[in-house]
Amino acid sequence: MPVKLVVNHPERCMGCMTCVLVCSREIYGSLSVKYSAMRVFRDGLGFRVVVCSGCEDPDCASACPYEALKPRPDGGVELVNPDKCVECEDRPCLDACSMKALRWDDERKRPIVCIECGVCAKFCPHEVLYYGEVV
Amino acid sequence: MMGDILFVSLTEGMSWVENRRELIEEYIGGSGLAINLLHELCPEGVDPFSPENPIILAPGPFIGLYPVCSKTIAMFKSPLTGNLGESHAGGGLGAALRFAGYDALVVLGASPKPVWLDIRGDGEVGFKGSSSVQGMSAVETVAVLKEPEPDGLQSVVAVGPAGEKFVYYANAVVDGYNFFGRTGLGAVMGAKNLKAIRVTGCGRIGVEDLDGYKSLFERIYEEVVKTGKMRKYHDLGTPQNVLTLNSIKALPTRNFKSGFFEHAEKISGEYFADNLLIRKNPCPLCPIGCKHVAMLRGFFADEHEVEVVEAGYDYEPVYALGSNLGIDDPAGVLKLCLLCDSYGLDAMMTGTMLAWATEAYERNLVGLEETLVEPRWGDADGYVEMVKHIVDMPNEFYVSMAQGRAYRGLGEDFLMTIGGVGLAGYHTGLAFVVGTAIGARHSHVSNAGYSLDQRHLGEPLDPVKTVETLVEEETWRCILESCGVCLFARRVYDINLVAEALAKLGLRRSVEELKETGRRIYALKYRFKFREGFGLKNLKIPARLFETPSANGRIEPDDVKKALEVAEHRIKELVERYAPAV
Repeated sequence: MPVKLVVNHPERCMGCMTCVLVCSREIYGSLSVKYSAMRVFRDGLGFRVVVCSGCEDPDCASACPYEALKPRPDGGVELVNPDKCVECEDRPCLDACSMKALRWDDERKRPIVCIECGVCAKFCPHEVLYYGEVV
Repeated sequence: MMGDILFVSLTEGMSWVENRRELIEEYIGGSGLAINLLHELCPEGVDPFSPENPIILAPGPFIGLYPVCSKTIAMFKSPLTGNLGESHAGGGLGAALRFAGYDALVVLGASPKPVWLDIRGDGEVGFKGSSSVQGMSAVETVAVLKEPEPDGLQSVVAVGPAGEKFVYYANAVVDGYNFFGRTGLGAVMGAKNLKAIRVTGCGRIGVEDLDGYKSLFERIYEEVVKTGKMRKYHDLGTPQNVLTLNSIKALPTRNFKSGFFEHAEKISGEYFADNLLIRKNPCPLCPIGCKHVAMLRGFFADEHEVEVVEAGYDYEPVYALGSNLGIDDPAGVLKLCLLCDSYGLDAMMTGTMLAWATEAYERNLVGLEETLVEPRWGDADGYVEMVKHIVDMPNEFYVSMAQGRAYRGLGEDFLMTIGGVGLAGYHTGLAFVVGTAIGARHSHVSNAGYSLDQRHLGEPLDPVKTVETLVEEETWRCILESCGVCLFARRVYDINLVAEALAKLGLRRSVEELKETGRRIYALKYRFKFREGFGLKNLKIPARLFETPSANGRIEPDDVKKALEVAEHRIKELVERYAPAV
């Protein structure tokens, strides 16, 4: 059974941003809200939590003209050819994702890709996020 | 870079960055950094409303890195106390400043026109005209200025009409639910023509020892979430105190005439949580969410025409705008809380003034021509009208109310302030009174006298030992607030943990050295207070505190007098030793 990251209980989110910050720590080795593969923001009375859906046939990868993004066997994508991203002006991968889960790293000029490590779920105090096997 | 401080001159419409790494290395950050900058930047004897009064906002270095660390320290000269203006606020401001790359923001001068500041951490500061949001509620201003999907961690601090009109205890509202309260930061912002500050932290915070930091983070997180050390704040939040204090007869009721409120159940943390709670609102990196938010639902016309608003509530506002005004209607309390938040008024001080006015009216010291509305214990709607008058100041009586003073010096014995600041809701005994008097910012949390009283229920406290304990506690808290630790997490962040957490950031010092740093920060605060004319000898303690029996029985005036004498001596000794004048 594939292991996935799921926003299981968005209604329980308090907006503490712990997930966002521990994510940036895994990906970049420093803490940041901007340089993180996920986002949390106010939405009406509650919060919206945006993470990579871990698609089996990811639209972002299909949209990439340079094959910089490669689908992972368990879902989601991997950035295999980041050098190609530097020259990419249109960033079709960002547009292709209906969830708007991909964000752009404007320092390194490439998308910020979820590495499906599950650290965000580990530090969620309200089990908003679930990381594990899904049916 | 560590030690970068953003300076903004409102007078000149300019900004620049100065690096003061040496101050971080010596004084950590937060209040340690802020008090040093205040000494440098605030001229002696300055009028708090003059452009020369600086505003310093300093988040400690734990913010954005460790769980439950979020407090930004504001320092300025206070219009309410006439000396050290110090106030601590949670919310996202500290993290936003840190992610923007700054260890402090200093606002100097005054703007010729109303403005708000847009800070993005790229070295540029936007000076934006605020004509369209002038007069707007502080809470609404925050909502208007916040971007729906900001490109980083964003925080807005704003003043409401109370700040714009220089109410001496106007606060500054952070992100809608947190406050720089008590000593009038809102009025100082108002005097600078500064309606709001928006900070968007788009950068990163790096750590020297990343792996060591990560495992320490996990240890702290587990302790916060899985042990009972912070349960109270997560479960009912601070309003848990309502029934706890009422059971020991320490819940100030009807202007401290009693420590027992017969209807406490109706405005208890339990009642609010069971019936009205809709959300808990945490600061960044805090899994607790102590800020409890209630739903206030009402009908404005027939046919179930419904209106719903949110109101944050905490123990202190519930005491100040509830039991201390004899209000037993939870919706009435919430309405007053929301009104204070919207106007940008310190809820505690507002309650103090309303309670004083009610008693002054009851005793015929003032009449309807002054109060304009008949103040009556328990009448929330009447108090709503009075709060509006505090901000509008239609007559001399309300001008005096807005300055936190007893009108024409009447009824000072029952104006429940010490050092100009309205008392917190703990009639617990000697240590609370002495602690509030000697706390550098006259806050109950400066040194937690109320907690000392509660730990020694029924045992008379020795005035001399009480002073020693309180001063020791406050010097330690100076370290916590310099790091950015929320005081609600004080049971988690003991001195060894703080030393360990600092070391991961490259700020190594022994436990003894840390204690020493705490004493120096404390001494610097007091040096500022003494410089501005503060003295403990002539400090007025309202007689009511001695009349109404506390949880520990009647407080003896002689014990307080003795304690203040000892404290004056002890604090002067500390100032001479740890912060001698240059």
